[in-house]
Amino acid sequence: MAHRLEITLKNDLFDPEGEGVRRKAADYFHLALDRVRTIQVLTIDAALSHDQCERIRTEIFTNPVTQVSSFAPLPEPFDWVVWVGLRPGVRDNPGATAAEAIEDGLGIRLPPEAAVYTSKRYCIQAKGLDRAAVDRIAGELLANDIIQQWRIYDRKDWGADTGIGIIIPKVILDHTPTVATVPIGSDGELQAISDARSLALNPNDIPVIRAYFRDPAVREARRAMGLDDPTDVELEYISQARSDHCNHNTFRGRFDYRDLATGETETVNNLFKTCIEAPTLALKNQKDWVVSVLWDNAGAGRLDGDHYYVITGETHNSPSNMEAYGGAITGIVGVYRDPLGTGKGARLVMGAYGYCMGPRDYTGPLRPRLHPRRLLDGVIEGVRDGGNKSGIPTPFGQVLFHPGYLGKCLVFVTALGVMPARVAGTPAEEKTTSPGDLVIMCGGRVGKDGIHGVTASSEVFSEHTPAGHVQIGDPYTQKKMHDFLLEARDAGLIRFVTDNGGGGLSSSVGESARYSNGALIDLEKVPLKYAGLDQWEIWVSESQERMTVAVAPEDLEAFMALSRRHAVESTVIGSYTDTGKLHIRYEGKTCAYVDLSLLESGFPQWAFEARWQPPEHRGLCEPVLGEPTDYNGLVLEMLAQPNTCAKNWIARQYDHEVQGTSVIKPLIGAGRDVPPDAAVIRPVLTGPRGLVFTQALIPQYSAIDAYHMTGCTIDEAVRRIIATGGNPDHIGGVDNFCWPNIQYDPEKNPDGRFKAAQLVRACKALRESCLAYGIPLLSGKDSMYVDGHLPGRFGERHKVSALETLQFSAVSVIDDITRCVTMDLKAPGDIIYVLGLTRAELGASAYYELFGEIGCRVPEAHPETFLPLYRALARAIAEEIVASAHGVYRGGLGVHLSLAAIGGRLGLTVDLDQVPTARPLRPDRLLFSESAGRLIVSVDPAQRQGFEKLFTGLPMAAVGTVTAEPVMEIRNGDQPLVRLALERLVDAWKRPFGNLI
Amino acid sequence: MEAVENGMSPIPIDALVLTGYGLNCDNETAHALALAGATPHRVHINALIDGDISLPDYQIMVFGGGFSWGDDHGAGVVQAVRLKNRVGHQLLEWVARGNLVMGICNGFQVLVNLGLLPGLDGDYTRRSVALTHNDCGNFRDDWVRLAVSAHTPCVFTRGLEGIELPIRHGEGKFVTDADTLNRLEAQKQVVLRYANADGRPAGGAFPANPNGSLNDIAGICDPTGRVFGLMPHPEAYHHWTNHPEWTRQKEPLRRAGRPLPTAPTPGVRIFANAVAYLRTA
Repeated sequence: MAHRLEITLKNDLFDPEGEGVRRKAADYFHLALDRVRTIQVLTIDAALSHDQCERIRTEIFTNPVTQVSSFAPLPEPFDWVVWVGLRPGVRDNPGATAAEAIEDGLGIRLPPEAAVYTSKRYCIQAKGLDRAAVDRIAGELLANDIIQQWRIYDRKDWGADTGIGIIIPKVILDHTPTVATVPIGSDGELQAISDARSLALNPNDIPVIRAYFRDPAVREARRAMGLDDPTDVELEYISQARSDHCNHNTFRGRFDYRDLATGETETVNNLFKTCIEAPTLALKNQKDWVVSVLWDNAGAGRLDGDHYYVITGETHNSPSNMEAYGGAITGIVGVYRDPLGTGKGARLVMGAYGYCMGPRDYTGPLRPRLHPRRLLDGVIEGVRDGGNKSGIPTPFGQVLFHPGYLGKCLVFVTALGVMPARVAGTPAEEKTTSPGDLVIMCGGRVGKDGIHGVTASSEVFSEHTPAGHVQIGDPYTQKKMHDFLLEARDAGLIRFVTDNGGGGLSSSVGESARYSNGALIDLEKVPLKYAGLDQWEIWVSESQERMTVAVAPEDLEAFMALSRRHAVESTVIGSYTDTGKLHIRYEGKTCAYVDLSLLESGFPQWAFEARWQPPEHRGLCEPVLGEPTDYNGLVLEMLAQPNTCAKNWIARQYDHEVQGTSVIKPLIGAGRDVPPDAAVIRPVLTGPRGLVFTQALIPQYSAIDAYHMTGCTIDEAVRRIIATGGNPDHIGGVDNFCWPNIQYDPEKNPDGRFKAAQLVRACKALRESCLAYGIPLLSGKDSMYVDGHLPGRFGERHKVSALETLQFSAVSVIDDITRCVTMDLKAPGDIIYVLGLTRAELGASAYYELFGEIGCRVPEAHPETFLPLYRALARAIAEEIVASAHGVYRGGLGVHLSLAAIGGRLGLTVDLDQVPTARPLRPDRLLFSESAGRLIVSVDPAQRQGFEKLFTGLPMAAVGTVTAEPVMEIRNGDQPLVRLALERLVDAWKRPFGNLI
Repeated sequence: MEAVENGMSPIPIDALVLTGYGLNCDNETAHALALAGATPHRVHINALIDGDISLPDYQIMVFGGGFSWGDDHGAGVVQAVRLKNRVGHQLLEWVARGNLVMGICNGFQVLVNLGLLPGLDGDYTRRSVALTHNDCGNFRDDWVRLAVSAHTPCVFTRGLEGIELPIRHGEGKFVTDADTLNRLEAQKQVVLRYANADGRPAGGAFPANPNGSLNDIAGICDPTGRVFGLMPHPEAYHHWTNHPEWTRQKEPLRRAGRPLPTAPTPGVRIFANAVAYLRTA
């Protein structure tokens, strides 16, 4: 017997959620709704008495001050009702906590088959609204058919007594778990089965796999276990381990690179080894602060003598592109498990985000699955709930719009943690598994989630088919697990810990078993969300919020007691061995028996052709643009560009101060509304040290050359660190590559060879920049298929590829947080300096972009000449003689002088003629060049001598002063260019997204 | 802060900070309490429920910020139900004995759902006020100015006038019926109000009043002044560098050759008031 409880706000109370729907319907679809009210629906699939129902209604689910509720449909007036509920198998977080609350409130245990399902009923009042319009609101605003179902009622359809009826989205699989054996008679046969089962085996791997399973010695050992041909469990394991996601086959590939202009050729064998691993290992030897790199879930550096920080960055692009909220929350909650699974476990101390989206106001002919506006809304909310509910501050983030991301959006999520240098007397960064250690799975349960990613999306949905391939992260369950594991760590109970992300147990157990050299797993012990999963599904499911932990048998009791205290489910699913085998059983019967060494043996390297055509050979040249006359209008327009203007509504939704560690916030200055160059937190509250964190993202430069895109991106990250007070000798990097497909195909990917060349060039620049600036890569990830196929006006499909994109994160340490510097001008009379040379580098600049141009002369980074300047600035900051410092990034001096003025709510007067240049430049080019290596610094006149002395022989000049009069005045010698009241700058910069909260 | 006057050790004040089930401000709350001179103890909700710790060993209990049970069914509701069912009587007795209770953000939501606030007519179980969804429709992190009521019985805010603190919530809009509101005002139980830069109440205007609270109410106490709930986070302003404009405040000090701030922040002073009250009680 199920019960349906409806709850809503009392009639006289404002309904912000309903109002949000009304406003968005007007803003997005120009539909005028009079009033929207939301009703929360709890469908309780459990046998409860009338008395029990009333108790939970009044004591738990209805606030007597604000709400009314009823087990009959509430008589809320409407013209249309839209009911939205989840599809079967989609994670229902509020449903799960409702069940917990019922058990707690009634002092009962619900039987395993009982559950609570949450849904919503929207009551819309609007005159003359037709069903098609309501359908649009339902499908494009309220629900996403991938995870949700909805029903629409007008007044005729609605039964006052029955309402929406009782809808129970329960997963019923009605399936007996079965292990299938896969014949391997020929390569073609295995390939066909791989395709049919979405195994995604690489064709080149198939002969190696077949050879292994046909080896007489292997066959004999398998026969002893009752096995013959490979099982689906085994092939799934191999497929997961060999996937590009887990194995980075692209970066480990062989690139045949040719410069078509010079004819020079080169073979680059393994980008990861040559451009990431080699420089990082070289730098690790020089930098004693590097603690752990290149092997664990995240890299580690030293914060102080007693603490290490760890950092990693991920993307969650494809899932977010399908279901923005679910994809994004799963992404952020997922990346938070990486630090938790680093060493013996790190406490999460901050997160950061980067979103690359199609234009928010896109009105062109292509029809992406989700409009960029809706995609952005959902992604913002997903990361908000994931971060806020995890109790982890999100003090930094960036958003970038470009049509290339219409095909697939990018969602970057970055996580930092802190761990004590020693745990229970052992180095915290070290961990291993030993034979006899127990394999324990902690946290959530296993369902069909994430199996084979998006390939499942083409399945036909039935009423009870789980829509599990799109997941919804559960920060509540994970936060409990986080608190539990840290206590277990400090009690010395953890020998090894890693997260279950891509590949699920297959990857976490498979990788951790390599240390002990074997594992024996009993799959039937794995707790499931619902019965009926096949063995291979249990093994590779990507159900979230799970960690795999190795615990010594003598510590089991203490570990499980602590787990119960924290209300976290932990289950022993097997043990580590030294047999050299991954041995999996189900109810005593072996279903996988594979040599762990198989993965290290002889799989062929991926190969790519890379062909480079320099920009001038691709027809790129400088646009013929005369000098503008209306500089005031130009500056205001530049400030209002979507990629430049204020996006404060996002930062304000993110808790950036939880944990009490906030030093430099995401919005700073006199108006508390300007983004800083970097965020700073003090993760250990009893110490003076801060972590300085920043990110840079300038994929626009890839339109000319991804080599310089990479160099400039890294240089920008370095300047952001230096400007804030970070230590130039301690900068750790995280590279997140997002690239379109680089495998050439004459039909499907005709420019694949060029994109491959861009990747090679980007990696070379990464290597050179990291070595020049001394940046070890503490972590990094790649996402290699950022392409989409979008329907156009006539049903034709257009391939849309993203710009070759690198998000570079940088982290540094500041010894004393009170020496941090921010970018806002501080006091009238201060001298404004520009450090670094401005060159005629406007290729792919925001200035050219304003006119729809690309140009050719892209900014170039010269680390060897920039670095002395940065070191001088770092010294000046350490001596506390710098009032403000701010890098000159996209939009050039014109934009960044404006932002410094807005930050201080002070005026300035600047003479461009004083700006250091290599050659004379026209004023508009001076104002909007995006040359790397430059900063704007303001200094108290009393410190002038001391400051300038530090820069002897370096390109820098005093270019103006800060003024009390709130006006930005820029001239070029005698020629007046800009004279704008500060309030006009503020208005231009804040207005574009100013109505969003 | 840990003043040792006249060579005497101060009386230890033990403060219980709840943890677990999605609560998340326990570390910095413990830190702020330590700065205020108390001895903080982070205690899992289940340790309290299971009787592993004993309430009489503590003099202050802080219901801290976070998302208990994900805040899925009204912020703080499920935590309140669990505590009421398991340790409700024990808690009421302990409060009646003169100990101090503070609820911050999610903890404030728990206190009003337990009925410990507003405690009108000596009834500490009745729900008569609520904290509901912000009018702005979203979670919001911002610093707010707060006007501190002068004649309130609240022991936590003594000596404080206008202060700034961060708010970080999606459900902070204070609502109640007209009668309850009048009584809270008449009994001076309204302790904190959202204010404009000039220190006067915001008059409901966003963003100074970030959530649409009635009468700009940001914090209330019970009639005794020993139970205090507030939406802003005093524990997140435990150091002067937590302030959004600290680099702007530092610059004139440095130019004048003056030392950097060392005095307790307004956030720490709220906890210190609790400690001082207990030491003199």
